[in-house]
Amino acid sequence: MAVPVTAPAEPVRQVSARHFVRLKLRVLANNFRGQGWRIALFVVGVVIGLWFAAGGFFLLAAPGLAGESRYALMIAAFGGGLLVLGWLLLPLAFFGVDETLDPARFALLPLSRRALVTGLFAAALVSVPVLATLIAVTGLVITAGALGGWPAALVELVGVIVGLLLCVAAARAVTSAFATMLRSRRVRDLAAVLLAVLAALLGPLQIAVLAAVRSADWDQLTGAARIVGWTPFGAPWTAGIDVAEGRAWAAGLKLLITALAIGALLLWWSRSLESAMVGAVSAGPSRDRRGTVGEAVAQLFPRAAGWARRDRFGALVAREARYWWRDARRRANLITIAVVGIFVPVMVNVGGARLAVEDTHAFGEVTADSSPVLVSLSLIFVGVVASLTVANQFGFDGSAYAANVVAGVPGRLELRARMTAFAIYVVPLLVAVAVILAALLRHPGWLGVMAGALFAAYGSGLAINAFVSVLGAYALPETSNPFAMNTGAGVAKSFLALLSMIASTAAAVPMVVAAALLGDLWLWLALPIGLAYGLGAALLGSYLAGDVLDRRQSELLAAVTPRR
Amino acid sequence: MSDQHPALSLRGLAKRFDTKVAVAGVDLDVPAGSFYGLLGPNGAGKTTTLSMAVGLLRPDAGQAWVLGYDVWADPVRAKGLLGVMPDGVRLFDRLSGAELLAYHGLLRGMDPAVVDQRAAELLDVLALNDAGRTLVVDYSAGMKKKIGLACALLHGPRLLVLDEPFEAVDPVSAALIRDILHRYVTGGGTVVFSSHVMEVVERLCSHVAILADGRIKQVGTLDQVRGERSLEEVFVEVVGGRTATGEELSWLSR
Repeated sequence: MAVPVTAPAEPVRQVSARHFVRLKLRVLANNFRGQGWRIALFVVGVVIGLWFAAGGFFLLAAPGLAGESRYALMIAAFGGGLLVLGWLLLPLAFFGVDETLDPARFALLPLSRRALVTGLFAAALVSVPVLATLIAVTGLVITAGALGGWPAALVELVGVIVGLLLCVAAARAVTSAFATMLRSRRVRDLAAVLLAVLAALLGPLQIAVLAAVRSADWDQLTGAARIVGWTPFGAPWTAGIDVAEGRAWAAGLKLLITALAIGALLLWWSRSLESAMVGAVSAGPSRDRRGTVGEAVAQLFPRAAGWARRDRFGALVAREARYWWRDARRRANLITIAVVGIFVPVMVNVGGARLAVEDTHAFGEVTADSSPVLVSLSLIFVGVVASLTVANQFGFDGSAYAANVVAGVPGRLELRARMTAFAIYVVPLLVAVAVILAALLRHPGWLGVMAGALFAAYGSGLAINAFVSVLGAYALPETSNPFAMNTGAGVAKSFLALLSMIASTAAAVPMVVAAALLGDLWLWLALPIGLAYGLGAALLGSYLAGDVLDRRQSELLAAVTPRR
Repeated sequence: MSDQHPALSLRGLAKRFDTKVAVAGVDLDVPAGSFYGLLGPNGAGKTTTLSMAVGLLRPDAGQAWVLGYDVWADPVRAKGLLGVMPDGVRLFDRLSGAELLAYHGLLRGMDPAVVDQRAAELLDVLALNDAGRTLVVDYSAGMKKKIGLACALLHGPRLLVLDEPFEAVDPVSAALIRDILHRYVTGGGTVVFSSHVMEVVERLCSHVAILADGRIKQVGTLDQVRGERSLEEVFVEVVGGRTATGEELSWLSR
């Protein structure tokens, strides 16, 4: 057996989680240095976080403050369960995870996997959302204390802290696992479909839950809360309530359940971390792309863009079309559009029909209180969200955008081509959304109104976001994790997104007004007018924003180039 | 008209980032048909200078002309004559080599048939045909440099600006790149490239400029700059390096 001649020296001090936390704080502080607007954005983020935290706090503390013990269990189980669910799903769908400490950076250090995971976990706890959640859930401690005195409050305090750990561990484990799947060339399409199906299921699930809530009586609801309380979703939050209700044994068991769940999640996370650390190199053998090279130009154009002329515009469209599919980050965004596109209108239009469900116990009448105006509104939201995806379209390119700057691509051409390529994916998606919704609502006659609203909102959204993408671009981190975000970018991103959504919605409001005023005539006019409105807005947007882009090309390049 | 104008002309180019001055006023004339080496230690401002010269980074002050066309006032014509290979900038690397070349060619407004023919030739000469349809992101560092060079050459520019073309390139590929650049200059083109590898510069260049702390310290033909000494000696002296005394870092030897 080979014996190593030189044994590595034993480290003098063990690396603990404290180092990771300090490193994260240091990186955060350095990010702020000399960047006034970043500090301002951070403060805005903290204020918004505190606002929500205060709201959550009072909601969760309400049963205790009011002395209504029968609500306590339900609020704890359902409220807490929703919180865990939110931490689980929201990073995947919208927000991404803060990757200030990129795991790949630690690959060369002699750290055990255990030290690394606990360290990164501890660092992940240092964030505004965690703080906000902590403040909110202390409301439960108040509730438990008011109902069961000090012992219950103490147990609940332990409970909410473990519960918070569970939330963060779940968010990290799930995004990391999905990132690995999306990176791996073999299963990434599977992962995409999985995510879409999961989200599409939320709609029907919600209908079922609402129907159940309506038809269920008090005992059934309490029973459901008890069951949720024994799953990891509700266990940490209900432990103190159990003590207050005289079941101290249950509290211990529930904390154990939570601890086991956290352990399992961390183990899962550490597995996928390893593959993230070795990075893209181990992303599995690349699909065999050898084969004949053939004509270069013919290769560049995917079938979906085959109609385009073989010129500058065509090249831009073809490259963008290829990128929407090949870039994991962009594909994740396309999935989000599909998910939101189906989920939100179903929720608004079918969810609003719960009265009908209660009366007849049948889904046949779910359309009872939906209307062309409501449908238009919800679909305008979908169109706006779809167009929001390109609010940082140059950020996707990063420094590669230099190629277009060097070639001197005119701004208007650039924006028009990007809109066209994006539309190749999104327009069929929007049509599908309209058809599915019309079928679900059993109102095929509304198809024109739906498609009209969608296209009008999508087109005017593209116009607004053309400006946002030129003026408000920011760099995305160059990691292989499609869910990763730069620190502080979260607030900037949300801020710009909000701004662009308000503007886009305002631009599409005439469609709703027309739906409200014109009545049945609008059923026929909506589609042609919506199409023309959207197309016109998009063209106008590319025309005006293109001028701005011409003047700002190099500034834009600097904005999207990640700092190294 | 390109005969009367220098291939690249820089006047008073300056750039500061926050409080740090990266480039503090650079004047440079690159004669047409020359093989120009821009030398400098790490952080001297080479990349910043070249980025400002080709229209990637807006200078705080100063101007740049490519064959008489102002890069910042008349970018369309200046950029049309220019081929650039930036360093530390990604390519559109989720395309295959052939797709990337087609993209660059069409973006330059070239005829598709010409693009096809030149792309095939370039891939062949640069030995990138074996990669087939592998995405550029999966290329090795040397292959990425070569495809970057191919993208810069595709439209037949009159001036080629290359940032660190020999960084991270193995000797075989380096020889190939040297060969191609040599042929390009012999054919009447002009090359400006940055480097800190003295051997390469000494072997290739007709003209040299040494940049340090954001200023040009020495400029002229290769023989003018190095005189009787080796280029490395001149470089270290101009830049002001230090040599190890042997006392420090004693713990490195056991």
